[in-house]
Parts: sequence; structure tokens; C-alpha cells
Amino acid sequence: MTKATSTPDTASAGGSRAKSALLTTALIFPSGLWYLALLVAPLAIITVFSFGVRAPNGGYQPAFTFDNYLHLLTQPERMAPFFTSLYMAIGGTLGCLFVGLPLAYFIATRAGKRKSTLILMLVIPFWTSFLIRTYSWLIILGKDNLGGVIANLIGQPDFRILGTPWAVLLGLVYGYLPLMVFPMYVTLERMDRSLVEASKDLGAGRWATFRQVTLPITLPGLVTGSILVFIPMMGEYVIPQILGYGRTFLMGNALVDAFIQTRNWPFGSAMAVLLIVVMLFTVSLYVWFVNRGRTVREVSVL
Amino acid sequence: MAESLEDILRRVAQNRVPRRSFLAAAGLLGTGAAIAACSGATSTASATASALASAAASQAPSVAPSVAASASAVASETASASAAAPSFTYPPVGDVEKQLFMYNWSDYINPKNIDKYKAKFGVEKFQYDTFANNEELIAKLQAGATGYDIIGPTGEYVPALRDGGYIQPLDKSRIPNWSFNAAFQDTLWDPTNDWLMPKDFGTTGILYRSKFVTEPVTSWQQFSDLIKGKYSGKVVFVDSMGDVMVMPLKLIGKSLNSVEKADLDQVRTMLLDLAPHILALDSDTYQDKLSGDKPEALLCLGWTGPLALMRKDPKSADIKYVVPSEGTLYWLDVWCMVTGAPNPNASYAFLNFIEEPDIQGDETNYTGYGTPNDTAKQYVDPTLLNDPAVFPPADVMKNLEGAVDTSSNQQRIDIWQEFKSKIGG
Repeated sequence: MTKATSTPDTASAGGSRAKSALLTTALIFPSGLWYLALLVAPLAIITVFSFGVRAPNGGYQPAFTFDNYLHLLTQPERMAPFFTSLYMAIGGTLGCLFVGLPLAYFIATRAGKRKSTLILMLVIPFWTSFLIRTYSWLIILGKDNLGGVIANLIGQPDFRILGTPWAVLLGLVYGYLPLMVFPMYVTLERMDRSLVEASKDLGAGRWATFRQVTLPITLPGLVTGSILVFIPMMGEYVIPQILGYGRTFLMGNALVDAFIQTRNWPFGSAMAVLLIVVMLFTVSLYVWFVNRGRTVREVSVL
Repeated sequence: MAESLEDILRRVAQNRVPRRSFLAAAGLLGTGAAIAACSGATSTASATASALASAAASQAPSVAPSVAASASAVASETASASAAAPSFTYPPVGDVEKQLFMYNWSDYINPKNIDKYKAKFGVEKFQYDTFANNEELIAKLQAGATGYDIIGPTGEYVPALRDGGYIQPLDKSRIPNWSFNAAFQDTLWDPTNDWLMPKDFGTTGILYRSKFVTEPVTSWQQFSDLIKGKYSGKVVFVDSMGDVMVMPLKLIGKSLNSVEKADLDQVRTMLLDLAPHILALDSDTYQDKLSGDKPEALLCLGWTGPLALMRKDPKSADIKYVVPSEGTLYWLDVWCMVTGAPNPNASYAFLNFIEEPDIQGDETNYTGYGTPNDTAKQYVDPTLLNDPAVFPPADVMKNLEGAVDTSSNQQRIDIWQEFKSKIGG
């Protein structure tokens, strides 16, 4: 912003630059404060806590020890929830992608006048408590409804959906789908339709057009959406608790146990830090992978 | 036939004291416990307003600094006016304040008794904030929440509250109605009876649907055999480490508070052995899994909380609760007074009032949990009084053991986490 307005040939420009810098600072200040107070500070506290020890009656007592991390890393059963979370979050992200992409594409390109109605329908569920929406899946998937119907169809009375990892996966996809759809919708809506027509004119089939035109254009929204859904899924704890009957034990659930059932804040903090590291690593890898593929394709287009 | 969402939500919300449950309170009952400081300020504001309306009225000394000036003015006025005002002098010192701030489990006091208390002592504001588990209570006090008068923790957390300096000793001379069954006096949490006043008690045991489970279920051993045998996959455990570990420890004849490595090694083997047979770990909605005419779960390691509602429903009236013969855990919820309680006279008035036999009897009729006060039993609904699940007979009582806080033991939590990871298969 400052660069755009600064023209260093007159005296008044210098004044306006200072003014502009001041304005920039003033505008950034609230968000900077927000970032500092709600992101950097808690992160710092968690990191400091993770090197502490549990106070005799629970909570945090200052110390400097690596015991929390060592205990976590040397016990395979304490690492198990990390991997379960990772698999479920990846599965959930892919699920959101497969459901979300066609949906976003349809709303952006085919819905016409119904566009805003459809967008509204996607948003309305968000007005209800997340917990109540998850509880309602208990009924939909329960043995009186879908679960029972499928059990009857396949003739296995003990078949159930609830309490399986599939129920958790379904809950994850349902719960986070809009976060995936909106970024993709925005990029798809801005897409120049003539590019698709051009592709067809040049003899590309539907699949080739999708792969070489639509998908690369959607990619920024797709990446944003994936990250938006992946990160909260890694920390999810309500869905496995309700739809998974506590049988799918994710990182979020292990964290709750550390803070609630044993009041061991330092150990819980160590888990949280490790979770952040795992997410940072996964997301960076993902972004690197996506960008790498993109450069190659651009080169091939050239 | 199909259960409606409303039914489930209503029951989740109505679950009297969803003991140690986290979800229900977090989302449905609302954790919106207003900070006492905040409510203190508003109530003082209204108090000041009423003081303006009738200058002669006796006013509670205010604690909120924002109105300190006007409050001290009112307070000095009170000194001269108190003789003319209706007197609620309570043994042995001081006027009863106009307000009381309580932090307790949800739905844990009969609302009628609150009204009676307010009317009797001229208390205008009865602030009732709720927590979902003891940890939430401790965390809030550790974070520096002040302004509460009375809290309702579970006995095993009282030593931690005492050591942290969060509660003050009770002056029993100001609670003349103090009269409790010997089983609830000189407890391991408070050997001198100075810090806690017993409120309600209950046990951890076995719930089962007798229409479907026709085998005898009277012991942990039978329960364990049935889980691994005929009723595999039809069992719910509450999601609480301390309660689940009772079963294996009692099966090997040890204290449920054991932190001996050898004992816990055995516990680990036994729990991992049971893990594949368990349908759910659930403290919030386990009642739903046991309910209906085709229940998902037939057996449950849980608490007495769901009994009352399940018995009312003809479809699930066959629910039975057993205190296992090897012995089990009993919990005791208690009253404690917070350090620096702003309304000590109103607090003592309440603590004494709630132990009036008829009032205490109505408490039991409302909460459905056993009262430790024997003088109240004559006012308790006979069906509740004769229910061995609520008031276990003497020979069962002697097998009960109170829990101490063992959450600092690393091996226990490691076993618990491994158990949870193995349940999914």
C-alpha cells in the first residue's frame, strides 16, 4: 500500500507517505494485537508449560524437563492417537474434496438463479449448534433408521454404523464440508468460462478439460479449503465421542483426558505442541507438493 | 418408535447432574457461568437502586469496588437502620446478606427449597452457576475466580481445594442442624470434619436390562465373564478412569485407589482383555444406549443417575442396578465454603437451612441421590428410600470404598489411554 502511494519527488509526498505509514500501522494494530494475544501468547504458554511438571494437585509447576516429550515419544500406545487423528483427518479432507468439488462446481457454474438460495442452504445449518447437529446424526444413523435399514438389507442384525470409524469419518465430512466448498466456490465462480470452451474447441475431452483447465484454476481454493478442514479435523474430539462412541480415539480426546481426567497440564501441553508440529509438517508437505505439481504443469503448458 | 432428537436432547439436558460429563454441559447445559465478580456488580447495582427507593432498608455490605463509595455510605446507614429493619440475625453473628453466590453441579438443588430459603432469610439474589465436572471447578478457582460463597465439589477433590487455600474451615457451631450418618463423618478426605459438609452420595456399579440379561449379575466377576462371553459388544462403560479401574482392582481384591505397579500391571492385562468387547465409552448419553425395546447395550458400568427416568419409561422399566459384591466405589458430594466468601452469614444460613429434615428430604426427592442425613429419611419418598440402589443396605455399605485423587499416577493414565486406543479394535 505504501509503495503504491509513494512518489518521492515532492515534499508533500513525504508527508503523505508518513501519514500513510501511520494509517497502515493504525489499521494493522488491532489485528496485530489479536494475533499476539490470541495466537502467539497461547502458543508460547503451551510451549513453556510443556517443559514443566504437574503440580502435586494438578495443573502446572515450573520446571525444565524433557520428560513429557520423552514419555510421549517412547511409548507407542501414547503415540497411537496421533496416527489415528492423522489418518482420519486425511480421510476426512479427501471426503470433503470428493463431495465438495462437484457441489462447488455445480453451484458456481450450473445453478444460475438458484445460486444464492443454494449458498444459503449450505450456510443455514451453521446457525444451529454443532453439538445438536452431531446428535441428530445419532438418530439418522441409528438402528431405527439408516443403520437398521442397512442391517436388514444385508441380513446382519449386528451391523451398525455408529461406533465405527466410518461414522466418525461421515461426521467429519458433514461437519466441515462448507469450509471446503466456499473457497472452491469462490475460485470457480471467477473462472472464465471461455477457457473451458476454448479447451473444447481445441479438441480436449471432458476429463482433459477438467484436469488441465478447471482443476488448476480451482487449485488455490482447493488448497485453502483442504487446510481449513484438515486442521480442525486433527483436533476434533466431539464427533469421535458422540458418533464414534468413544471407540475412535483421536488426539483431541487424548488431550481432553490429559487436561480433565489427570489435570496434567504439562503433559497435555507437550501433546498439543507435538500435534502442532505434526500439522505444520503435514500442511507444509502438502503445500509444497501442490505447488511443485503446479509449476511443472505451467512449464508443460508453455 | 424412532426416537426423536427432542427426546434425546431433553434427556441429555434433564440428566440430573451429568456426573463428570463434559460434553453435555459444554454444549447443551451451557458453561455460561457468569463470573461472580460480574454478577456481584449487577446485584450490587440493584441493591443500590433499592436502597435509593427505601433508604431505611437494611443493605448488604457491598464488595464491588466500582460502587464502593455508595456502598460504604449504605453500610454506615445500615448500622443505624438495622434495628428498624426486619432482623434475620443468624447464629451466632451478623445479619444475613441479601445475596448468595453458589457454584455447583446443574440441577442439584430443589428449586422449591431455593425459594423457601430466599423467603425465610430475605435473600434477594441467589446466583446459581454450574460446572460440569470437578476439574472445571478447580480450574476456575485456580484461575483466580473469587466471589463465590458455596461450592459443591466431590469429596475426593476437597484435599486439593484445601491445600490450594481455596476453601475455608466450617464453623460447625453455626450449623446446629449438623447431623450425619457415621459413614459420612471422619472421611478420608476430611478426618476432622472441618472442611466439608456431606451433601449426597452414590456408588459406581452395574446397570443391566433384566428383560434381556437373564443370568445373575451380582458381582464384578459375573459382569466381566458376561462381557467377554454372551454379551460381547453390548456393554457401555462410563468415560471415567477412576470408575472403570474399580472393576479390575476389586476383582483382584485390591483397593480401588491402588497405585502399586504390580496391581496396575494386572489391571492393564484385564482391561486390554475387555477392550474388544466394549460398545462405547460414554458418560453423557449411555442412558440412550441402554433404553428402548431393542437396546444397543444391555450391560453398563455406570452410575445411578439414569435409573429414575428409565424406570418411568415402560420400555426400559426392567433396568436394574447392582452394587457388586466384591465392593465398589462410593462418591460423596459435599458443600464447601470458599475462602473469602463475600456472604458468610447467608452461607451459614443456607448450610443450616438445607439440613432441616424436611428440606433435606425434599432435596433427596428431587435429586434422586442418597442423603447422608438420617433425620431427613422420614421425608423421603418411600420408593426411593427402599431402593437399594439409592440407599444400599448396611452389609453392602461396608464394602464401599471412597476414592482418593490418584490422577498424579502416570501408570494409571498410560493404561487408560492404551485401553481407549484398543477399544476401536
